Amino acid sequence: MLKNVKKSYFIGEREISVLKGVDLEIEKGDFVILMGVSGSGKTTLLNIIGLLDRKSEGEYLFMGLNVDDLSDEALAKMRNRHIGFVFQQFFLLPYLNALENVLIPIIYSDKKIRNPRERAKALLERFGLKDRIYSKPSQLSGGEQQRVAIARALINDPDIILADEPTGALDSKTGSEIMDLFRILNEEGKTIVCVTHDPNVKSFGRRILKIVDGVISEDVEG
Amino acid sequence: MRTSRAKEFFVEFLKILYYYKGRVLFSFSGVALGILSICVIITTIEGANRKAKEIFESLGPDSIMVFSGAERQRQARIRVNTLTHDDAESISKISGVHDVVKILAVRGFPVKYKERKWQTVVVGCTPNYFHSFSWNFELGGPFGDSQLDRQESVCVLGAKVRKELFSNDDPTGKWILVGRLPVKVLGVLEEKGGSFGGSHVDDRIIMPLSTVMNRVSGEKKYLSMLRLKTTRDPEETVEDIRRVLRRNHGILEGAEDDFTIRSSKDIFNFVSVISGSLLLFLGTASIVALIVSGFVLSNLFYLTIYERRKDIGIRRAYGASRRGILISFLLESVVITLIGGIVGVILSYALGSTFERLFDMPMIFNYKVILFAVLFSFFTGLLSGLKPAMRASSIEPIEAIRG
Repeated sequence: MLKNVKKSYFIGEREISVLKGVDLEIEKGDFVILMGVSGSGKTTLLNIIGLLDRKSEGEYLFMGLNVDDLSDEALAKMRNRHIGFVFQQFFLLPYLNALENVLIPIIYSDKKIRNPRERAKALLERFGLKDRIYSKPSQLSGGEQQRVAIARALINDPDIILADEPTGALDSKTGSEIMDLFRILNEEGKTIVCVTHDPNVKSFGRRILKIVDGVISEDVEG
Repeated sequence: MRTSRAKEFFVEFLKILYYYKGRVLFSFSGVALGILSICVIITTIEGANRKAKEIFESLGPDSIMVFSGAERQRQARIRVNTLTHDDAESISKISGVHDVVKILAVRGFPVKYKERKWQTVVVGCTPNYFHSFSWNFELGGPFGDSQLDRQESVCVLGAKVRKELFSNDDPTGKWILVGRLPVKVLGVLEEKGGSFGGSHVDDRIIMPLSTVMNRVSGEKKYLSMLRLKTTRDPEETVEDIRRVLRRNHGILEGAEDDFTIRSSKDIFNFVSVISGSLLLFLGTASIVALIVSGFVLSNLFYLTIYERRKDIGIRRAYGASRRGILISFLLESVVITLIGGIVGVILSYALGSTFERLFDMPMIFNYKVILFAVLFSFFTGLLSGLKPAMRASSIEPIEAIRG
């Protein structure tokens, strides 16, 4: 839940205000699409929600917890435990194969997960990557890489998945397949927040927010 | 579940090293070279010290040598003989002095047996030489006072000369040519190995002093060296000898000695000084080399970290704390330098035997060397990795991902 959240950056002497007061509450199990042109502040908002960035003003409760006073270490732990990230550029590590990429969050985790390797394999198989488990990212297509990235986001069984332009680097057919995957995950109970400027993605969300110039200008049920 | 975490971390760690193998190889070879040279230096010096000790002990702490020629001439390898029988006589009268050995050495002298020729040192000496320098016999035996008195043409062969002239045959009773003089072989010395003062100790022929002076060298008056023992304090005896010799040679006050006196202690100190300066020069050089490679390493890590910004961002997003990033990068640099250190130690061990053969210097390996190498490479890694790793840990995830 965010209340009157503001964020500004300093570039030299100039203060640039990106978020100018955002009020937003995201329910568990929701599927939120954040729409907006580039520079509207949608990625900044997503980073604040994802505990990657801190707000300048206002109030933010993550799962009912005020995160303002949490240390870097504690935030890292929260991200590891509760949040799964998916990025436009996939960001798989080039020296690891698909399976090992999926296992990255495990390294930093203190959650008890039995047989992480088996679990990672199961996730990859579920996403149709059975033959790709030991492939390096460079040997995978864009859609395959993004599915590996989604498996990575899921390995620690997070409560919420945050996706920043997940279809931005994919053609529209593959993009729809990825969004379909998010829809299924949402139906299984995961909360999903997806940032995009792609109007085709809109139809997958249950709730569509439009950000214009640092404020939420529209909030409709999909 | 910590074990599976550790396992994934380890697998990933190895993959990173493999992926950046070129850089890793470059990094650790610098450290390996530094450690290698340090190891070689330490072990060689340790060996030299042991050798000095051996010499000291084999000569005996009560032993003093007097050489012909001034210190400077000796250093320039100019051999001028200034000691005489009279000098030896005077010295043997100094209180506490006993067991004076008179020696005249002639270098580069041709010897011949049938068709086999060799050049060696002919040592003319009094019979107490063998006992005084603790030579043992492999075959036959020494000559005695009667042979000395009668200027007999007899000799004892060093192991090297025996090998050159006779291979493995028994030379005792055979006649060889020393210059143009036929000489009968009485015995063969046991091999000692090693060299001292540039010539191989086993490459020599020992003959009665009188025979060498009158029938081989043509040098009828002067000796090249005296060797004696003392029951008194060696330092005091050295001073007495100096006084006697200066008087005998008529050296004016203020003028230089025309002889050189060495006690066992001097020899020991000499080797220690050499190994000390060796340590200083080479040691500084290799430590500088290590520091330089530390800097290179540091810059390589900066480069690596710049390249892996996204990598760091991803890890941070997925739950790595600043400390976690710091530790993993530090671990990387320390492991690389440790590998370098270990490779250096192994290389120096392998090279050690080659060095021993080349320079006839024993190298002594012990746990101290290995401990030193490991500690040194560990700290090189820690220090050179610290700043880059701190830089890595300060990268903000959103910056890294956006950039």
